[in-house]
Amino acid sequence: MSIEVQIIDGPLAEQPRLPVIDGAGAILHFEGVVRPLEDGRQLAGLEYQAYEPMASRMLHTLAQAAIDEHGVLAVRVEHSRGWVPVGARSFRLIIASRHRKEGLAAMDAFIDRLKCDVPIWKSPVFAPDAEDGP
Amino acid sequence: MTIEVLLFGPAARAAQADRLPVPIDGPQITCGDLRARLAKQAPDLARLLPASRFAVNHAFVEDSCIISPADEVALIGLVSGG
Repeated sequence: MSIEVQIIDGPLAEQPRLPVIDGAGAILHFEGVVRPLEDGRQLAGLEYQAYEPMASRMLHTLAQAAIDEHGVLAVRVEHSRGWVPVGARSFRLIIASRHRKEGLAAMDAFIDRLKCDVPIWKSPVFAPDAEDGP
Repeated sequence: MTIEVLLFGPAARAAQADRLPVPIDGPQITCGDLRARLAKQAPDLARLLPASRFAVNHAFVEDSCIISPADEVALIGLVSGG
């Protein structure tokens, strides 16, 4: 079983380093990308703030829960802090599991918990010429 | 004595500060009492407090947790990572 957690300044690399895990029959890969619109207004990007080291510890706790509760083999998670422009990646979760089902369940549970318990916040920064929303 | 409360995200914007010193009467206080004092001291934060939790030394705690000025105390409002 392996866990890797990284908080990275700025956007994540576009080509992730995929793990090679003995016994894995599935590798699931999820990426969060900064959307171009927020409430109908054009975004320039998002500014992420992370409370460290608590954010990294909580991500590690969620990864361990994925192993303990779903039996997955490996979890790698990356999250941005600081400035991430529209179209860039800000979150990546890679889960290796023996079979598809437990990997998908673990991924869903991880992201749900991330959005409740990991002290990371994003603030929208709108494009200078963005029109007012509806 | 004071407890310094770290603020992030919407809470920091509401208070227009990334930390707030909260005076306390003795060497310790519960997080529940700290929450009540924060609401009085920073009314702009009050609407965010019911949905917020405290983290003490980087771990979530209940309102019954007793803290002192030596602890690192953070107010963790609704998070928005991912």
